[in-house]
Amino acid sequence: MIDDHPMIIEGYKNTLLGENQKEYQIKIDIASNCDDAYDSILKSSKTTPYDMLFVDIKLPPSSDGTITSGEDLAKHAKELLPKAKIIILTMHREDHRIHNILKNINPSGFLIKSDLTSSELLLAFNNIVSGTPYYSATVNNHFRKMMTNNFSLDEKNLKILYHLSRGVKTKNLPNYVSLSLSAIEKRKNQIKEMFSIAKADDQKLLEEARKRGFV
Amino acid sequence: MTKFSSNSVAISMSFLFFIFLMGCNNITIDGNDEAKVKTNLIEEYITKANDKTIAQEDRKISVNNAYNLAGGLEDSFYKRRKYGEISKIYRKLEIYSKSKSVTDEMLKIAVSIGDSIGMARAYVNYGVLYRNTVLDSAYINFNRADKIYIALENSNSSNVAEQAFDHGSVLIDLAKLTRKIKNYSESEDLTTRAIRKFELSGNLSYLPLSYSNLGIVAKEMERYDDAVFYHDKAIENAENTPKDTLYAVIGNNNIGTVYKSAKKYDKAKEYYSRALSYTNFLKKRPKRLSLLLDNLAYVNFLANKEDDSVLDLFNQAFTIRDSVNDVVGLSTNNLHLAEYYQAKGNDSLAKLYAFKVKDAAPIVNNNVELLQTYQLLTEISDSEEGLEYAKNYVKLNDSLVKEERAYVNKFARIQFESDKKTEEIAAISRENQLLIFAILGLSVLFLLGYVIFRQQQSNKELLFEQKQQQSNQEIYRLLLSQQLKLEEGRKMEQHRMSEELHDGVLGRLFGVRLSLDGINQRANDGFTESRNVFIDELKSIEKEIRLISHDLGTDTLSPDVAYVDVVESLVSDLCTVHKMEFEFANDENIDWETIDDQKKVNLFRIIQESLQNIFKHAKAKSVKISFDYVDDKINLTILDDGIGFKSSKVKRGIGLKNITSRVTQMNGVVDFISNQDAGTKVSVGIPI
Repeated sequence: MIDDHPMIIEGYKNTLLGENQKEYQIKIDIASNCDDAYDSILKSSKTTPYDMLFVDIKLPPSSDGTITSGEDLAKHAKELLPKAKIIILTMHREDHRIHNILKNINPSGFLIKSDLTSSELLLAFNNIVSGTPYYSATVNNHFRKMMTNNFSLDEKNLKILYHLSRGVKTKNLPNYVSLSLSAIEKRKNQIKEMFSIAKADDQKLLEEARKRGFV
Repeated sequence: MTKFSSNSVAISMSFLFFIFLMGCNNITIDGNDEAKVKTNLIEEYITKANDKTIAQEDRKISVNNAYNLAGGLEDSFYKRRKYGEISKIYRKLEIYSKSKSVTDEMLKIAVSIGDSIGMARAYVNYGVLYRNTVLDSAYINFNRADKIYIALENSNSSNVAEQAFDHGSVLIDLAKLTRKIKNYSESEDLTTRAIRKFELSGNLSYLPLSYSNLGIVAKEMERYDDAVFYHDKAIENAENTPKDTLYAVIGNNNIGTVYKSAKKYDKAKEYYSRALSYTNFLKKRPKRLSLLLDNLAYVNFLANKEDDSVLDLFNQAFTIRDSVNDVVGLSTNNLHLAEYYQAKGNDSLAKLYAFKVKDAAPIVNNNVELLQTYQLLTEISDSEEGLEYAKNYVKLNDSLVKEERAYVNKFARIQFESDKKTEEIAAISRENQLLIFAILGLSVLFLLGYVIFRQQQSNKELLFEQKQQQSNQEIYRLLLSQQLKLEEGRKMEQHRMSEELHDGVLGRLFGVRLSLDGINQRANDGFTESRNVFIDELKSIEKEIRLISHDLGTDTLSPDVAYVDVVESLVSDLCTVHKMEFEFANDENIDWETIDDQKKVNLFRIIQESLQNIFKHAKAKSVKISFDYVDDKINLTILDDGIGFKSSKVKRGIGLKNITSRVTQMNGVVDFISNQDAGTKVSVGIPI
């Protein structure tokens, strides 16, 4: 279980180690930052590998700076513990982040903290143990939105839309998305074409993006 | 309006002028005929008066008629010329008073029509009238004419040749006058000038006269070789002209006289004889013939005082002179006879002839001969009488010397005075020039000073403007940086709060909720449901906190918002003070960050200025200010609902002028649209 808030870990523990979970023998290791987490994962991969990892996305980065988030950590874990089930628990619910995590890690469980209740956590836990992936309602929602569009937007496009929706000006976008201004303009036009609103301004674009659930 | 009136004046002027021309034409047609008749008559009378074959009386009548007719003409060159001719005719007819009065009128006309040549001619007329009688008057007039011709030559007049000839004539007259008063060097000088003028004019008819004058002067100065040379030249120059015989006679006679003075009597005899060889010519001219005969006789006598044959020659001359009543010649003849008889020792006869000379002296007016006579009488009379004659001689000689001196002085004074006059004129013109130069210099200096002053002033203005601009920018930068710092601080604080809320508070709350939920699942005390309600409440609190955090986190402020904030705060501050409603709109597409400060400051000031105008004059209730971005241009519109103004009336207002100048500085366009009682719209378009 990796989270920088002891209170949250306490919550997980309380839920999972409840009385009605007698059928599993659960041993829990705790890490509150990337360094500790990585060490534990490394250690377990050599001895008894973890069956399941609870990973928070926002974590204090590792001291050498190579691992900056739960996302990076999960990637490492997938390599070191290929059999382990990874459950992402995060406070972030922005579409592009969800999209990213799904794409990069493809976790067995994806739970959005704000949605989460202890019964849902238990449900997810049981599902995942029995081999069924579990996603929070928000994540499922994202999936649904993705499916209703006959096309998908890649991460960069989603990012562009996301930042635009936050009120960032197009010309400032290069600071947020690692693309040049002209590339961003191009992408914006592409998105507009996809939405079949080719000549619309940013306002229109965002409205459409909201309607289609990209923002 | 003024243009129209000036046009109409021009039209009426030209119309008048046209009528005037018509009138003129009518008059001149009549006048032409009349004038033609008149001039024809005048010409006719003048030709008649000049005709020497007509009797004197008829000629006089003709010239009187011509004069009367010419008097009826208007002052003109023609009238002046005719008067000149008439005056000349009167002179030739020896009606000197009339000649003089006509010349007076001629001079008056010449002066009134500004005819310098006419004036010169009039002076020459006076000179000719006086040259044999009143030497100084003649000199004055010739001198005046000379000065006029010199002035004309300096002013590059067109008719050079004719003027040169006239000028030469004047100079030769002056030369003769100065010779008469024995100022020989002056005379020589004037003659050479005259020769130069004649050569320049191409009319050489007076050259023999000039050379002959030179010869006479040279003889008087005892430069005999020169004298002979000049007389030869005179003869040479007269060759192939109508006057060649005349000059041959005169020249040879003169050369003879030169040799006589040089005491080369044989040579003198030879030349006199040569002169006498023109017998046909001399037959018609008894005076010249007798002169030559007398001269030859006298030189013979001088050569050989014992020679009695000379008496015959003297007598020949005497008879001829007596026959034509040549008083002057007779007097000379008498003197020569007196000398002859003195040499012969016949004092009584010598005395008789001497007395004749003495008696004729007042008529003849030849003081040299009178002097010689006194000398002779002194020599031949007895002591007492001789003393008397000696006294007379000294007296006459003294008076002659005095007279000569007086003349020389007088001429010199005339020359000096006229020189002084020209000098005065020159001095006056010099003074004028000096004055003009001084004025010019002063004005140039003044202008220069003024220009420098203006330059400095404008330099100062420029410097001041520059400084103002700099300080404006500085103020703006300060304003902006302050605003930026403020925004930055706010942003940082917001960010911090956002993160704190999201990561700290929210996480912990979530943990607490989860734990509670977990415990709740396990507890079976019948309160699970009611606890679940609170757990849900916690969840909704979480949601709210997350929203707040999100809002705080996304409230990103870029620096360009700061400019708009500055503007908005200006507008809002001013409007609040003046209790006015306002709307402010900024186009998000305007990238304020990339626009240079100068433009931003200018726009800021334009808004400030416009608002001041609105507060002062418009009596508006509300104002709308907006920035729009169209085609790479920022359009600033300031619209109020006040009373408006008449565009023509306010054109000169300082506020509007300032705005206009600021806009032109940015290569923009500005429009003030106002209708009375319908508000005012100030539109400014600035290219980026």
